[in-house]
Amino acid sequence: MTLTDTRRQAPEAVVARALTKVYGQGDAQVHALRGVDVAFATGAFTAIMGPSGSGKSTLMHCLAGLDTATSGTVHIGDVELTGLNDKQLTLLRRERIGFIFQAFNLLPTLTAEQNIRLPLEIAARQPDRLLFDRVIETVGLRDRLAHKPTELSGGQQQRVAVARALISKPQVIFADEPTGNLDSRSGAEVLSFLRTSVRELGQTIVMVTHDPVAAAYADRVVFLRDGELVSEISAPSPQSVLDTLMKLEA
Amino acid sequence: MLRTTLAGLRAHKLRLLLTSLAITLGVGFIAGTFVLTDTVKAGLSQQATAEADKVGLAVLPEDHEGALPERLLDQVRGLSGVLEAQGLIRGSAPLLGKDGKVVGNAPTTAVSIVTGRLGRTTILSGTGPGSDDQAAVLDKNTTKAQGLKLGDTITVLDSRHREQRFRLVGVMDTGLDQTLAYTGAVGFTPATAQRMTGAKGFAEIDIAGDGAGLKQAVAAAAGAGAVVKTGAELAKGLAAEAGIQMESLTTGLLLFGLVAMLVAALVIYNTFNILVAQRAREMALLRCIGATRGQVFGSIVLESTAVGLLSSALGLLAGYGLGAATLAVLGALDAPLPTNAAIALTPVMVLSGLGLGLLVTVGAALLPARAATRVAPIAALGMQVEEQTFRTGVVRVVLAALFLIAGLGAAGYGALGMEPGQMVPLFVVMGGGALTFLGVLILGPVLVKPLSALIGWIPARLFGVPGRLAVDNSGRNPRRAATTTVALTIGVTLMTLISVVTASTRETMTTKLDNQFPIDYLVAPQERDAAVPRPVADALRRSPELASVVQIRAAKAKISGSGDSVRVGTFNGPFKPEVRSGSLDRLEPGQVAVAVPAANQFGLRVGGTVAVRTPKGGTVTLRVVAVLSGDASLPMFTVAEQPFEEYFGRLPDTRLMVNIKDGVPPAQARKVVDAATAAYPMVQVTSATEVRGQFDDTLDMLLMIITGLLGLAILISLLGIANTLSLSVHERTRESALLRALGLTRSQLRRMLSVEALVLGLIGAVVGVVLGGVFGWAAMRAMIDGAWFVVPVGQITLFVVLSGLAGVLAAVLPARRAARASIVGSLATG
Repeated sequence: MTLTDTRRQAPEAVVARALTKVYGQGDAQVHALRGVDVAFATGAFTAIMGPSGSGKSTLMHCLAGLDTATSGTVHIGDVELTGLNDKQLTLLRRERIGFIFQAFNLLPTLTAEQNIRLPLEIAARQPDRLLFDRVIETVGLRDRLAHKPTELSGGQQQRVAVARALISKPQVIFADEPTGNLDSRSGAEVLSFLRTSVRELGQTIVMVTHDPVAAAYADRVVFLRDGELVSEISAPSPQSVLDTLMKLEA
Repeated sequence: MLRTTLAGLRAHKLRLLLTSLAITLGVGFIAGTFVLTDTVKAGLSQQATAEADKVGLAVLPEDHEGALPERLLDQVRGLSGVLEAQGLIRGSAPLLGKDGKVVGNAPTTAVSIVTGRLGRTTILSGTGPGSDDQAAVLDKNTTKAQGLKLGDTITVLDSRHREQRFRLVGVMDTGLDQTLAYTGAVGFTPATAQRMTGAKGFAEIDIAGDGAGLKQAVAAAAGAGAVVKTGAELAKGLAAEAGIQMESLTTGLLLFGLVAMLVAALVIYNTFNILVAQRAREMALLRCIGATRGQVFGSIVLESTAVGLLSSALGLLAGYGLGAATLAVLGALDAPLPTNAAIALTPVMVLSGLGLGLLVTVGAALLPARAATRVAPIAALGMQVEEQTFRTGVVRVVLAALFLIAGLGAAGYGALGMEPGQMVPLFVVMGGGALTFLGVLILGPVLVKPLSALIGWIPARLFGVPGRLAVDNSGRNPRRAATTTVALTIGVTLMTLISVVTASTRETMTTKLDNQFPIDYLVAPQERDAAVPRPVADALRRSPELASVVQIRAAKAKISGSGDSVRVGTFNGPFKPEVRSGSLDRLEPGQVAVAVPAANQFGLRVGGTVAVRTPKGGTVTLRVVAVLSGDASLPMFTVAEQPFEEYFGRLPDTRLMVNIKDGVPPAQARKVVDAATAAYPMVQVTSATEVRGQFDDTLDMLLMIITGLLGLAILISLLGIANTLSLSVHERTRESALLRALGLTRSQLRRMLSVEALVLGLIGAVVGVVLGGVFGWAAMRAMIDGAWFVVPVGQITLFVVLSGLAGVLAAVLPARRAARASIVGSLATG
């Protein structure tokens, strides 16, 4: 069963078609994805949800070019990922994709500012001074720029990671449980930054989470179970997300 | 606990392999040294036994230079129980080369070749002289060097320097006799040998025969001044004499082995430290489930014991192979050593190899093991292993400062404050070097960060983001980086030291030669007691091709009162010896210039007097007007020419120093000098360039050998860099994955790790170059008065560049592994 996205007012930033991913061989074979068709609109904040082992992280890794799918296609904008070699995938990530991970997001040897600028420097691109200021303002890190990660709280570290993802104006940001390690207040802060960046900077964000409250910050939530896309809701609230999840578990 | 440890070892076998390799190489080198020297020694004693077992008894003069009276042979022959007795004759009989001049630096030694049951000489090809008084044999090296073959006619000078011709009938082996190997040997029938050498008496009397009390009878006949040995005793003595060189070779090689082991110890220490840091959670878990501190400590020590035993055992095997290979190479190169004895692993070697390897491994692991016991059980619950942080402690700085002050102070005192040219200041400098090195070792972690910033300045700009990240990473864990680089520093320090010392020695010697010995040719007899007849100097003075001829004469005299013997000499011609104090402008009769060693020995100063007994002038009192630095050209006391003749008579010259006139081609001048000396085969002509060339060759050879031997220490330290890097890569798996996710390509990640290794290698090399340079200077000052200090920039740059490249090479495997890792998999670890 597949669900197609019916609201296609904006061009799609990421599209996956008939995506499958199989790990292992023979008896040990695990089907992590079983033919997923999904699209993520530009300028939208989408959450991917599902119980543990539903394949949501695998889906994100395949969409972001971190992992290669067994079959099916992925497009980021007009570029098809399937068939790209490691070097091409790396350049694609560098140019078009931003990442926020659950933990270990920053290089311990660099200051907050150096961490934020890192993707630009890797790509040898000039930082957009206006954008930089605006991003720093948005995440409220002005007085923390010269600090090393060990001198920052978990919430501050994650805000640095958000700023780093925003600074290169990627076509899409993938966030993997970005609030998984944070207390609820810091988590709420980080999530509102993400939502603000979608509203104000027109950023596209795809976030994997298992927290209904976090998912409720998104414009749309898609649900996975056993490697298949099973449901989706628009304009979610924590309650509606929880209800859908309960239905899936049942 | 034992099972846990063993399981851990199995799980980390690859990780421990590099560590083991460090010890294996060190133990292998030491074991190889023993295999080599033991085998050669066994070979020597086999050869000695083979030589001596034909002899029942041997009578030798007590004084090595002395001789046994000829009548003793007849007395011995008359003793009952003596089947045969032969006197061996030995003395100098210089062989002439094809140019009509005596060959070599010392006159050839003539020996008598005995036939019959007491014939001990091995004839390698041809025959012995038998009873043919016109036949002679030569040793193998001389035959080869002179390009002779059997049947050729050879010319040998007899005891009155008359030329005698012989037919070469065979090639003999010099056996274990080091003197014969050095001078070359010519063998004659006993009668000819006596005629040629003019020897009065025998160097040895060999006796065949047996019977109770024979030894006592022979000893009684020989009387005082002679020693009687059995064949076995003779063999033992011969082998021991030949083995003396082996002893110093063993000591030298073992020193290099110990340097290698020191470097290996640092590598082990670092590896265990990193392993303990990475396994902090594992240790904490063990503590959580009830392991005591002692058990955790024990498990690390046990692990190091297993590593030590395994790698030492492998080292013994490697050493066996190394020793055998060296022997094979030496054998193939026809080295003058017995290489064919059975190679054996002696218990001493096995135990010392295993013991040393074990001691170093376990010793180096003790501190890391203690660190492991400090892990709190609660750490097992933590999410992530904390990075080691390092803060500069006051104790560390004070301790390092103390060592540095003491070390540099001692070196400075040894170099500047003490009388140069003796062993004591050199030892003071070496002690200072060791202290300074300890200071640098303690201060290392403090130095790493600024050094990595300094040395990384260019790579950080050259290699973009990967370069900058690499430089940050290299200074990230100062303690680890310091230990890693210090291992390399040891090797580079010693290499720089040696190259500075050889370059400075070369320059100092060349300058000294040019200043005091500004000559083109030295004309001198081969033997110290012989002389250059006066007509040679006269002929040379008349030659228009030559600019100057300096004659030097010397004779022995006794210091009045003390009976000490001293060489007194004079010179004639334009010659300016280096004056230490006083003046040599005008040397009047009744005055003397004294060389420094004699001034020290007899307590003489400018203005003092010394009484000398001379053969013709009676006892004369001389006033000291100058103290000379003392080089080989002048004797200890120098007086003016005229009084010299009054004291000693009209003696021939002992040597001539000849200079070519400007613009005359050397080949033409050489012909003139050769012609003037042609009538005197004993007089040799040496050109200064030849001397310098030989000197250069010797220095180059020395430098090459030492550098090669130090290469082992460098190799081990590179294993250390590879090890540290691969463990760091393992630690930073997630970090690397993050960078890859952010768009760092595989080759950029590899480059990042290569640059990190490059920076580490360069830090080690630069510190080593600075230390080696400073102590090279101090050692030169301590060794030679007025030494020049030369920094061989090319060589040292090469060391630094090679260290950097070697670091990059050490990074190849770890970098490949890091670049190949899957991003998704790596992000999930930890």
